[in-house]
Amino acid sequence: MRLRGFILVLLLSAAAAAASWSSGFVVIVHPKSPVTRVERKFLAEVFFRRATRWSDDTPIRPVDLVPDSPARMRFSQAVLARSVASVRSYWQQRIFSGQGLPPPEMADDGAVVDYVASHSGAIGYVAAGTSLNGTRAVEVE
Amino acid sequence: MSDPRRGTQRLIAALAALLAAPQARSAELALPGEIPDLQLHGFISQGYLLSSGNNYFANTTRGSFEFSEVGLNFTLPATDRLRLGMQLFSRQLGPLGDYRAVLDWYYLDYHWRDWLGIRAGRVKLPFGLYNDTSDIDAARTAVLLPQSIYPAENRDFLLAQTGGELYGYADLQSGGGLDYRLYAGTIFLDLKPTPGSPTTVLNLDVPYVGGGRVMWNTPLEGLRLGGSLQFLRLDFDLLTPVSPASIMVKLPATLWVASAEYVVRDWLFAAEYSRWLVKTESSNTEIFANSSTTSERGYALASYRVNSWLQTGAYYSIFFPDVDKRGNGRETRQNDVALTLRFDVNRYWLVKLEGHYLRGTAALNPSLNSNLPLSALQPDWALFAVKTTAYF
Repeated sequence: MRLRGFILVLLLSAAAAAASWSSGFVVIVHPKSPVTRVERKFLAEVFFRRATRWSDDTPIRPVDLVPDSPARMRFSQAVLARSVASVRSYWQQRIFSGQGLPPPEMADDGAVVDYVASHSGAIGYVAAGTSLNGTRAVEVE
Repeated sequence: MSDPRRGTQRLIAALAALLAAPQARSAELALPGEIPDLQLHGFISQGYLLSSGNNYFANTTRGSFEFSEVGLNFTLPATDRLRLGMQLFSRQLGPLGDYRAVLDWYYLDYHWRDWLGIRAGRVKLPFGLYNDTSDIDAARTAVLLPQSIYPAENRDFLLAQTGGELYGYADLQSGGGLDYRLYAGTIFLDLKPTPGSPTTVLNLDVPYVGGGRVMWNTPLEGLRLGGSLQFLRLDFDLLTPVSPASIMVKLPATLWVASAEYVVRDWLFAAEYSRWLVKTESSNTEIFANSSTTSERGYALASYRVNSWLQTGAYYSIFFPDVDKRGNGRETRQNDVALTLRFDVNRYWLVKLEGHYLRGTAALNPSLNSNLPLSALQPDWALFAVKTTAYF
């Protein structure tokens, strides 16, 4: 019985690791955020800045990686369902028509972690395996 | 009187300095104290147009470099709900623009909730998918947007209004989301005399412009459907050689467009269909008869990003200035087939090549074509465009 439980835990861990590996990124939030999971659709609206507040009215502060980052490419395809170039076009339209500004772009995973850790309401993503340094990973549904 | 070109020269110099800077990207100017970052963005475009047969936008049969745009914008997120912004813009498109630097848009934007915000100032008009972004070369594949719905020569009329706007985004859960904008205001126009025209415009007012746009982001990711409606009136005070007194001509207009766009991975598909109803109400019907005309416009477009530096695009556009006279002569229509190649040299610089084959002369300007009637211009013709843009 114990052995079967151990094997089950092992299989579940392997499946979780495989899922994380296949997506290639981890979504992280500020350490004091009560959020434990987010819907993919909501996450897309956050990064297109259509959703700007958490349910407790805290401003949402999304943060991106630079366009040539592999984690950004994977995040863009998996969450936003667009290529990075297409997302950049979207932001060019928003910027030059005065409709809004894109999330700030950080040079690397460490900078994203630092930003999320130091800004309440912040949400970002980093490559799987990155040290989270106090930020908290959330599940994407 | 100050030379408008000097203002533009300063604008270009500032942009050139920013583009040449090692950190030539969206500049965030951190100001001291509690004031948040000021964001600065800009672009410079230079194009070349060459046509066979007819002059389009400029003297293009000889080839024309009168196809330039410069823009510099500042956005200050003053608080998490309040944002201020403005854009300086200058352009030359044949006789239009004349390199004058103008405040293209400016606003204060209070984003109260995701479903309700308010903007006041000079705000870009949301009409169709791309009217409010029609200046932004970097945001699309084509050099020229389909001219049936986004006529570059009407930019001053259709780009922005001075007044207010309510906007918002409503999450419909599994039903997608609704993006909506509702606006009202006026348009300030500085009309230049048309060379060769017997009529002089003494005054031009736009007593009102109003309308809205609703876009439904459907549950199918990347597909949005929507409609736009716009009402405006142009009041002209005209002087003609055949009348000693000026004539008041009012042009109330109703414009609508139905839109569909699907963005999936590296593909973009879009189609729009539009009708513009323009009435003429004259104080002297013997010279300017009262009338009512409905034009019909539409296009279908596709573009594909082949790789990180190459995009291709094509569209087919139709324009009938009077739906009741479709097909009765070359001046009653303009069909346009366009093919584009876009090369992204790097993240801040692109080059585009575009070829058009056009049938009909309905959108041509007689004053650029020796004041010949549209029925006397060449019915089948071609246009080649090349354009380069740097932006940050």
